[in-house]
Amino acid sequence: MTVVIGFEGSANKIGIGIIRDGEVLSNPRRTYITPPGQGFLPSDTARHHRAFILTVLKEALEQAGLKPADIDCVAYTKGPGMGAPLVTVALVARTVAQLWGKPLLGVNHCIGHIEMGRLITKANNPTVLYVSGGNTQVIAYSERRYRIFGETIDIAVGNCLDRFARVIKISNDPSPGYNIEQMAKKGSQYVELPYTVKGMDVSFSGILSYIEVRAAQRRFHTFIILLLSLQETLFSMLVEITERAMAHCGSQEVLIVGGVGCNLRLQEMMGVMCKERGAKLFATDERFCIDNGAMIAQAGWEMFRSGQVTELEDSWITQRYRTDEVEVTWRD
Amino acid sequence: MAAAGEANGGTGKLEFSLDVPFPSSRDATIALRSLSPDKEPRKGGISKLITVSGSTLSVRWSADESRILRVSVSSFLDHLSLVMETMEMFGPPVAV
Repeated sequence: MTVVIGFEGSANKIGIGIIRDGEVLSNPRRTYITPPGQGFLPSDTARHHRAFILTVLKEALEQAGLKPADIDCVAYTKGPGMGAPLVTVALVARTVAQLWGKPLLGVNHCIGHIEMGRLITKANNPTVLYVSGGNTQVIAYSERRYRIFGETIDIAVGNCLDRFARVIKISNDPSPGYNIEQMAKKGSQYVELPYTVKGMDVSFSGILSYIEVRAAQRRFHTFIILLLSLQETLFSMLVEITERAMAHCGSQEVLIVGGVGCNLRLQEMMGVMCKERGAKLFATDERFCIDNGAMIAQAGWEMFRSGQVTELEDSWITQRYRTDEVEVTWRD
Repeated sequence: MAAAGEANGGTGKLEFSLDVPFPSSRDATIALRSLSPDKEPRKGGISKLITVSGSTLSVRWSADESRILRVSVSSFLDHLSLVMETMEMFGPPVAV
C-alpha cells in the first residue's frame, strides 16, 4: 500500500490531494479569481496560495481521514508554471516532508495531468491532447518518454481564450473559459477567423490579435458570434493536430487533459473525428482536468514506486520544464 | 554613499544580515533546507548565503542596488514566515 500526497499551485489554483494505490482519498482546491478584465499576476497569485495552502493541507488530511504518519511520500509540482506560486507551494512541501520524515518528489505538471487522465479513464496508450491556460501540446508515449508531437509555437489555447475574455470583460468566475463556453452555446452564426495550423504545431497569437480588433465593434451579438467562431476555429485546429499525431503513431485512443479539456464542445468535435477513425475518446470531468493536487500525487505515486526520489538540494522549482525531459521509469 | 567604495571591505556593495533564532538546531536546519534550493529569480546584482550555526539561521545578502536588495529580503521574509508557520502547524519534527 502506497499513499502519496501531492501539492499543486503552478497557476491560479492551489490544490492538495492524497492518493492511495489509485484511489483518490481527498482533493481539496482553491482558485484565485480576478475581477473581469484582469488576469492573474505571479505575486498576487503567490499571495493567494500562501493564504490558503495550510488550510487546504489540513483539509486534505482530514477528508482522507489520515495522519501524516500514514503518508509514504510528499510530491509537489517542480514545474513548469509561474515562479512565485511554485515557490510558495514547494516551501510547504519541503517543510512537511522534513517534519514528517518522508521522501520528497518533484513532479512535472504536464505529466501529472497525463497520469491522472490515464488513472481515471483507464485509457491504455492514448494520444494525449494537453490543453490549458498555460500549455498546449500533443503528446504520445514512446520508449520511456512522453514525446511532444505537436504544440503551440506561441501562446496556449486557454491563454487565447482567457485573454479574449478579458478584452470583452467576461467574468472569471468560475473560469473565463467556462463562461465563454456558456455564451458560445447561445450563438448560431459563424464568421471565418484566421486558421493557423503549422504542420504538427499550432499558433494562436494571430487569431487573438484579429478577434481583439473585431471585438472593438462593441456590439453584444457580435461577441457571441466571435465566441462561437473562436471556439470552432481553435478546436478545429486542435482536432487537426491531434489527428495528425494519431496517424503518425497508428493510435486508436485520444485522451484530453488540462483545463480546456472540460469544454464539452471540444470533446464533441474530437469525438466526431475519433468516430470517423474508429478511435475511442477519453476525457475527465472538472475535478481532474482542472489543475488539482491529486494529479501530482498520482504522478508522484508512479515515480515513487519505480524508485525515483528528489533530494532537497535538487528540489528547486523551474518555470520551464519540458514534458519529454522526464524519464518515464514506470512504463515499458 | 560617499564612502561606498571604502565600506564593506571595499566591494562597494550593499550588505544585509539576518539572524533568526529557532527552538533547536534541527528546526533551523529544516528551515535552511526548505529555503535554500530555489535560485534567486534575478540572475545578476544579488547574491545570498544561508547558513545554520547552532540553532540560528543566518542569511547574508550582497547586492548592487538597494531596490534589488529590498525585493530579495522582502521575498525571503515572506518565505521564512510561511516555513515557520508550517513548522508550527505541522511540527514538531518526527524522531529521527
